[in-house]
Amino acid sequence: MKHPLLKLEPLIWLLFGQGILFGTVLLTPWVLVVGLAIPLGIVPADALSYERAHMLASHIIGRLILFGLIALPLWKGAHHLRHTLIDFGGGERDARVAPLLYLLATVGSVLAVVAVVRI
Amino acid sequence: MSRNAHPHAMAPSKPGRTRTAPPQLPDQFPFRGRYLAYTLFDLTGILYLLLGFLALCAVWCLGSGEAVWNGVLERHRNVFYLGFHTIALVGLIFVGIRFFGFFPKAQPPRVGPVKSPPKPVILAALYALWIGVTVFMTLVLAGGVF
Repeated sequence: MKHPLLKLEPLIWLLFGQGILFGTVLLTPWVLVVGLAIPLGIVPADALSYERAHMLASHIIGRLILFGLIALPLWKGAHHLRHTLIDFGGGERDARVAPLLYLLATVGSVLAVVAVVRI
Repeated sequence: MSRNAHPHAMAPSKPGRTRTAPPQLPDQFPFRGRYLAYTLFDLTGILYLLLGFLALCAVWCLGSGEAVWNGVLERHRNVFYLGFHTIALVGLIFVGIRFFGFFPKAQPPRVGPVKSPPKPVILAALYALWIGVTVFMTLVLAGGVF
């Protein structure tokens, strides 16, 4: 019988690939504005005042973008971290580490759904 | 000198009929020569995990009310967050350039009856998507649009 992770490998690779592509594309402006430009005062904080941020985020497109921005990078991160640990420590621990990392990404993705629904 | 890799790193699930030499870690692994970019690319996984959970926290706080959201904006002014986001931005650009560089090479020559576009076209499309979304979303988040 195939190990469950092997069965899920195509799905994991799909999410990993989308995580690199869309995670990078969506996180770049997020980090640029929310992480740097507003805290440094380059962009006035009013741009993301509660009313405006809520208006943008509660739109269906806003919710989808925020979900992608949260969930996809988690899968990229989990998969890449798994392979880093294999490279550095061999595959022995992989049977325990890989499910933990993917569980982390799954929990984060479920919480992302909840977070965007409750806005 | 190359050194011994973990002897079971590439072990098959069942022993093969022929004996194989134990795998060797390359000389320059992990931080020298071409392995530097390879290892750093792998390590950006940590950045993406942290960024994903930070974004989750921010969106969760947005759903919790004005005072909590204002707390998020205030917290991002902390020098620790500024440092992390600076490193994260460098990491995102590094991942983008590296991933978009090898994405066209990984495409099959044909997808069903359709021939894949030339590599420069795929590369240009990826950069156009990245730059376009970045400019548009930056304008939206910064209050320039909508």
